Amino acid sequence: MTRVALLAAALAAVYFSGSGYLVNLAVVTALFALPALGLSLLMGYTGQISLGHAAFVGLGAYASAILAKSLGLDPWLALALAVVATTAVAWGIGWLVFRLRGHHLAMATLAFGIIVHVATVEMKGLTGGQDGLSGIPPLSVFGLELGTDRAVFPLAWLACIAAILLAENLVRSPAGLTMRAVAENEAVAASFGIAPDALKRRIMAISGCYAALGGAIYGHYLGYISPGPFDVGFSIRLLLMVALGGFAGIWSVLFGVVFVVVTSELLKPFGRFDVVIYGVLLVVVMIYCPRGLLDGLGLAARALGRRLAGARAAE
Amino acid sequence: MSAPLLEVRGVAVRFGGLQALDAVSLDVAPGEILALIGPNGAGKSTLLNVVSGALRADAGSVRFKGRRIDGLTADAVNASGLARTFQGAEVLRAMTVRENVMAAGAARAGAGVVQGLAWLGPARRALARLAAEAESHLATVGLAALAAAPASSLTAGQQRLLAVARALATGAELLILDEPGAGLNATEKAFLAEVIERLRSHGKTVVFVEHDLGLVGRLAERIVVLDHGVLIAAGLPQQVRSDPRVIEAYLGNAQIGVARAASATRPAAPLLEVRSVAVSYGGSIALDRVSVQVGEGEVVALVGANGAGKSTLLKAIAGAVDPQSGTIAFGGAEIHRVPAAARVGRGLSLAPEGRALFGSLSVRDNLAVGRFGRLRAAGLRQILWPSGEEAAALEAAIEDVFRLFPRLRERASQLAGTLSGGEGQMLAIGRALVNRPRLLMLDEPSFGLAPQVAKEILEALPRLTGQGISVLLVEQNAQAALQISDRAYVLVGGRVAAEGPSAALAADPEIAQTYLGWEGARDTPIPGPANDDRFNRFSTVTYEEVKP
Repeated sequence: MTRVALLAAALAAVYFSGSGYLVNLAVVTALFALPALGLSLLMGYTGQISLGHAAFVGLGAYASAILAKSLGLDPWLALALAVVATTAVAWGIGWLVFRLRGHHLAMATLAFGIIVHVATVEMKGLTGGQDGLSGIPPLSVFGLELGTDRAVFPLAWLACIAAILLAENLVRSPAGLTMRAVAENEAVAASFGIAPDALKRRIMAISGCYAALGGAIYGHYLGYISPGPFDVGFSIRLLLMVALGGFAGIWSVLFGVVFVVVTSELLKPFGRFDVVIYGVLLVVVMIYCPRGLLDGLGLAARALGRRLAGARAAE
Repeated sequence: MSAPLLEVRGVAVRFGGLQALDAVSLDVAPGEILALIGPNGAGKSTLLNVVSGALRADAGSVRFKGRRIDGLTADAVNASGLARTFQGAEVLRAMTVRENVMAAGAARAGAGVVQGLAWLGPARRALARLAAEAESHLATVGLAALAAAPASSLTAGQQRLLAVARALATGAELLILDEPGAGLNATEKAFLAEVIERLRSHGKTVVFVEHDLGLVGRLAERIVVLDHGVLIAAGLPQQVRSDPRVIEAYLGNAQIGVARAASATRPAAPLLEVRSVAVSYGGSIALDRVSVQVGEGEVVALVGANGAGKSTLLKAIAGAVDPQSGTIAFGGAEIHRVPAAARVGRGLSLAPEGRALFGSLSVRDNLAVGRFGRLRAAGLRQILWPSGEEAAALEAAIEDVFRLFPRLRERASQLAGTLSGGEGQMLAIGRALVNRPRLLMLDEPSFGLAPQVAKEILEALPRLTGQGISVLLVEQNAQAALQISDRAYVLVGGRVAAEGPSAALAADPEIAQTYLGWEGARDTPIPGPANDDRFNRFSTVTYEEVKP
């Protein structure tokens, strides 16, 4: 709870700082944090890799946009339907891919991500192809349209904090124990009476739900979506956020998201080479900080502290 | 007798060419402690996997409390009230001890993902109940004090006890324990026996697979014996112990055609000298100051029950495990500090248990890989394209292997992955021979093979001494090993319990009981000259002091 209070305080400081730039970054952070948290539940806590998570974000964004724009549904209803539909799709994808393990699972989820991306490019009648969909009606509360950074900020962070609290609940509940058992050893989990595949499908559904929520809010907030942001590169960036957070750890994953958002601002001068830098970062983190950047930095700081203490003792 | 709790009827499982289980039927009565024993490869684990739902049988049925459970998934079998443990204990290392036990009960606690997300009452109550139950299960197995410790910090013995606590936490009535005593020391085994008896007094039924026949004899009310997938005996311990078929199953019965001619030229110059080597794995003692010698041109057999330390000794000689103390000399030079790869270069080859072939390479390429070390030493070009003397030597070495095992010649261009078990073993031995070792070490060459194939392989070994190769053989089929070797060591519980000329050991009627360890080698002092005159027959017998 203290963490939530601290987070709320930091957000309030950002919100009332008057800096449009900071508020924008904070909104982006919240919208990335939703899929990253979902991926952490799946990868970190349940041990199942997904290299196609951007697809769920894309599905949520496109479904909600199309429902609101083409069918003229109320944006809130469109958003709810899109999230429910993507959750169901995620469950179904889980049903398909969780008969695979390890590299095969990684390949299948990667393929899924590519298929969804190609579909958004090619199904021009529905998605507008590379041109994307514009004129997506914004969500509105009591007549106030949530189409600007400052207006969408409370909604994005309320959704994000709710997602954090729910995820925290899940991982400390008995279901969280079953997830960790499945992550470590499925045969042992089955010997506990846990049905590993059913559990993985459920977590995949929750993960898809988180991703879709992030995507749907994103679409209504920008008013325009195109296939670009939902490509495999985004899946890899989500992976990087989760890896930086040490995979399993709700708050450390949030830190990973902030780190990536800030880094991507710094990398803007490099243009499309940012992908190379992300790749290098991912490799370095996986090798030197397998339990996340915070943990790695903490270890390094302690080691430095010991060395300084040793040097002082030697004097 | 009341209705059986578990009924296994005519269960058969086939893996490729191997009949792992053949029409096995057995009953488990409520409240009993039943031991399932048999030599390596007898099908015990396969039977366990079938009963626990990890593996589907080709034929037969399994009923638990009268309800069919074959065909159910492993989690559904567990939900019906049957819990198993695993050979490797398989603790969840990322969790604490308490969390391991709580996770085991979580599925039964009935609080799913949705309740977990919302942190509803059921999830909260279930978590509290799981924590309380975990404390009581941990108390039952004596691990209560370690509840908050990471599971990875437990010793091998404590991990096995944790596995038992987890099985309890699933709420099962029938606990199936896979080798609960493996790697435990005497004190831990005594405690384990106490725990298992305590479980029974709590109304549980226990089936356990175990290699330590001392523990089996002490605990089991009934014993079922499997061999080569067939149930060969079932009954009370006294009956099973004296059943000649059981003794034969453990000691082997292959009549080898080429018995070693008693060579009068002993003692040979020592090639390998292992002196007081001790190895322990995470607190459990695998080898306790073992000394073994192999002379030039000798075939020496290491026999002993599972877990006696035979493979560990071979690994220590090959350099795959580091002994905590003791020395190893090969060809007159100390090698215990020489890295494993360099030992191969000095002429020490190991054909490991399980063969470890390169399945996607041809038979010929597998053999060529066996000479990698020598080719590499002759220069980089020799690896890319062997030529000149090196190529000729390689061809000659491969030719020798084909002469030893003509079946491999027919299969030269076939992929190793497509070989039968026997051919694969021949290839594994051949690959070790291509390096032209001075000492060839073989780990269970007849494991999992049909008797006729095993015979063919074992009969080929004495011929190697003609090529100046000494052989150190670890073999389950002790009778066969004694027939083809000059001398033998009997290992029991990590110590040399007897050694001597193979013929003398084979002729000793008492050696079977020593070998099998029925008397509970760890409960009673190791028999020595003072209390057992059967050992006086061997002039060369050495005894380790029994530790106080």
